[in-house]
Amino acid sequence: MESFLALAAGNTLTRLVLFPAVASLPLLFLRRDQVTKVYLLVVSLIEVALTFLYLGSHGGADGIFSLTRDLGPDGKPLEWIPRFGIRFDLVADGISWPLAVLAVLLVPVVLLGSWKGIEKKWPAYGASLLWLTSGVLGALFAYDLFLFYIFWEVMLVPMYLIIGVWGGERRIYAAVKFFLFTMAGSLLMLIAILWLVATYARVAGTWSFAYEDLLRLDLPLGAQMWLFAGFALAFLIKVPMFPVHTWLPDAHVEAPTGGSVILAGILLKLGTYGYLRFAMPLFPQASDAAQPLLLTLALIGILYGALVAWVQTDMKKLVAYSSVAHLGFVMLGLLAADLVAWQGALLQMINHGLSTGALFLLVGMLYDRRHTKKFEEFGGLAKPMPVFAFFLVFSTLASVGLPLLNGFVGEFMILLGAYRTTGFWAVAATFGVVLAAIYLFKMLQLTLWGPITKEENRKLPDLSLREILSLAPLAVLMLVIGVAPAAFLKPSEKALAATLTQYQERLKQTPATEARLLPQEMTAALPRGPVVVGEEVER
Amino acid sequence: MSALDLSSLAPELALTLTGILVLLLEAFIPATRRLATPLTVAGTLIAGWLALGLAPGMSFGGQLEASGKTLIFSLVVLVSTGLTAIASEGFLRRERIPVAEYQAMILWAAVGMLLMVRAQELLTIFVCLELFSICLYALAAFHRQVSWSLEAAIKYFLMGAFVSSFVLLGIGIVYGETASTSLSDLAQSLEAGIGSRSLLTLALLLLIAGFGFKMSLVPFHAWSPDTYQGAPSPFVAFLSVAPKVASAFVMLRLLEILGSNALGDKWPQLIGILAVLSMVLGNLLALVQRDIKRMLAYSGIAHMGYVAIALARPTDTAWAPVAVYLLAYALMNAGAFAAVALLYRKAGEPSQISELAGYGYRYPVLGACLAVSMLSLGGIPPTFGFIGKYMVFLHAIENGALSLAIVGVVASLVGVFYYLRVVYTLYMKPEGETETLVLDGWGRVAALLAAAATLVLGVWPGGLLRWMFDAVAGAS
Repeated sequence: MESFLALAAGNTLTRLVLFPAVASLPLLFLRRDQVTKVYLLVVSLIEVALTFLYLGSHGGADGIFSLTRDLGPDGKPLEWIPRFGIRFDLVADGISWPLAVLAVLLVPVVLLGSWKGIEKKWPAYGASLLWLTSGVLGALFAYDLFLFYIFWEVMLVPMYLIIGVWGGERRIYAAVKFFLFTMAGSLLMLIAILWLVATYARVAGTWSFAYEDLLRLDLPLGAQMWLFAGFALAFLIKVPMFPVHTWLPDAHVEAPTGGSVILAGILLKLGTYGYLRFAMPLFPQASDAAQPLLLTLALIGILYGALVAWVQTDMKKLVAYSSVAHLGFVMLGLLAADLVAWQGALLQMINHGLSTGALFLLVGMLYDRRHTKKFEEFGGLAKPMPVFAFFLVFSTLASVGLPLLNGFVGEFMILLGAYRTTGFWAVAATFGVVLAAIYLFKMLQLTLWGPITKEENRKLPDLSLREILSLAPLAVLMLVIGVAPAAFLKPSEKALAATLTQYQERLKQTPATEARLLPQEMTAALPRGPVVVGEEVER
Repeated sequence: MSALDLSSLAPELALTLTGILVLLLEAFIPATRRLATPLTVAGTLIAGWLALGLAPGMSFGGQLEASGKTLIFSLVVLVSTGLTAIASEGFLRRERIPVAEYQAMILWAAVGMLLMVRAQELLTIFVCLELFSICLYALAAFHRQVSWSLEAAIKYFLMGAFVSSFVLLGIGIVYGETASTSLSDLAQSLEAGIGSRSLLTLALLLLIAGFGFKMSLVPFHAWSPDTYQGAPSPFVAFLSVAPKVASAFVMLRLLEILGSNALGDKWPQLIGILAVLSMVLGNLLALVQRDIKRMLAYSGIAHMGYVAIALARPTDTAWAPVAVYLLAYALMNAGAFAAVALLYRKAGEPSQISELAGYGYRYPVLGACLAVSMLSLGGIPPTFGFIGKYMVFLHAIENGALSLAIVGVVASLVGVFYYLRVVYTLYMKPEGETETLVLDGWGRVAALLAAAATLVLGVWPGGLLRWMFDAVAGAS
């Protein structure tokens, strides 16, 4: 307990994860919405500052996203439930950091974007947002499967509340659907985790939920397939991949703007992150065997998401379906199991968070003014709202993949890498890029251009300073990533390469006939300890 | 009977004497009426403390056992007793039910359960079963003015009496075949193949039916929805937990004895079937309930199904998961029923879930307690209910019952749906036009204690789990 408090007080990952949750406690005593909003903004900015402080002080030889781990005074991760070898083990590396930074940055953006849209119960809204942040960061950093599962579930209730309390007409339906879909996946993952751990306990003779220990488990293909199915289903529902995507449009359409931004920006990425971090390295032969099926589903997701987005009459639904298509690209990149594709996929996770996040914010701003999201109500908005039009065009172009903006780099790398290893699938997926241009330009055309058909659109106020402030950081990042992608690709390369090498090494082996432990060296390519918290970082 | 024997009865004696004291004070010094509940709680705490100090070993010529296992299960019963006593005070005054008689009955019921857990002999077990059952029948009828309460008690009593005769018949057959009613003798006789196998199988089936009834496992569950609905709400927090704890203990002990011999090979499958039926039917029927007490009754059936998953693999490692699960169930059910007792004022009318609309904002603390209890019942981390499910499923998977664990997981997904219904009614439905309720302090304390324990143990289960595992392993 003391060592835990010491850890939480220091400049550590533990503090980053727990600070938002702890900072939500004063909200119990805040009654006035205005005060609450300012408090939340301050808290979210402090969290951003803490993140950069941590990155600044721990950036070692591997660059800014060095591998770091929270260790107790005895040089080991803290015990949590010793009886089962469960530890409070937080590790950050080049794969989790980009997503964590995005998550932290999006919180103030979401707050500014929700300033007017959320009209009631701000303290509860803020608390949900902060708990969600803690859950997301915890899930990204957790290196113990039990801990990961806990954080994975902790994300669920706040999002359920955000959709269900502050959402639109059919909010309860959407919230329950979201909850049940996610829960269905994660319960099967729980069984898979328990099975995995029970097998490890049988083979190794000790209990452990530690990721690095479980990686050493070499399982027969049959067992791998079942376990992989349990993990993959949980992650693919979260992504979401066709055909388990049906909760997403409902959740997006009913969620308030802030909820949609968080959902698209962060929560969906946890699915792809989990697939990359857990499903592939733990069950390499199984994920290789499932590759054709999953590639087919990813491709269907890309094309189907795009086609359905095309025919939408509701702006928010269009953006929601575009998420299905974009995440299909990310999955394509991950399935390709190629370094360039993986780098592209990781970058595309960030890109999608930025551009789709911005699009959801813009839809929300329009909704705040007109209380509708239907295209038929808009048209010609570029004239009364030039600044809005600028941001909408900018974000759309980033989403379409215009060179010099971020989307282009990610998609290009995914397609390039995927072509090297999967050939046909990459070619087929290219049509998705074309379709994206069609439906996104349709959105621009129907909202911004053409004659103004509705009288009330004539004198809509343009974006306020607050709204510009919420969009500007996203726009700047889209531009910077597009112009100088290397600065964002480099810090993650080492972690991705290590994971990929280990994955490919494992694939070269013939699968075990019965469960056994691999020698320590087999998993040495993966990031492992000791990585010291506090002053220095070493390998 | 020596002084040592008597001292091994210390916890039970403390409870009995507290009950008598509470009754006498009420009868002779009415001014002390307000002391009834504090005394009850103090008696429960003292009993717990005495139980912790009990030296492991046998007493009364090997008829009463004190071990780590009995200690853990006794403490779970006492947790439920204490929380029920606290939750009841305000309710009893509001409904003009005599406090002292009620609390004394609760205490004596707890005595029966504690002794049943420790008993090593079938007739003692039967006497204890009757001791607590009779208290429970009376308690179910305590809401005398309300016909529902009487109906609840009659249904429970008639079926309970019927089942008691099953248990007695089973014991009779065991005695007839093995010439002994002691559990250790039974184990030896089974080992040695003494007695008719078919008759002994019948006897054990009768015993399992009896304790399955007290646990409300399908197909012995029919009484529980009607009884829960009509009985006084805070009492249901006790009825739905404590007898099940004691019965699950005896059931596990019987199954453990059976497991070690030729008669035992089919029993895990039988219990597995009961588990699946309870989980599936309990959850599906809870889904369609509109009355929160009936919903919790069916959910209780489902929860005993999860416990039965562990019972279906009655190895030595099954004790701790069962105990953890029952403790979690005791806490979350106490939280739920304490809140229900506060929020539903019209005795004898259905307690519709829809009446909770908007209460999450009107009564923020109590609403949060109810929501936490619901999430814990649904098995969502970081609550203790999740830890319980985790332990049970892990035990099943470790012992080769993967299919039971998968059924359990799928069933609990159904469960999440109806628990969420309560949560969204609390927070997402517009508030109805109802008068503001005056909530009594006792009930709120009980709900808060239970919900806080559910959360704290969910986040920090390490120490408790280690202690429970050590206790169970140490004395076996």
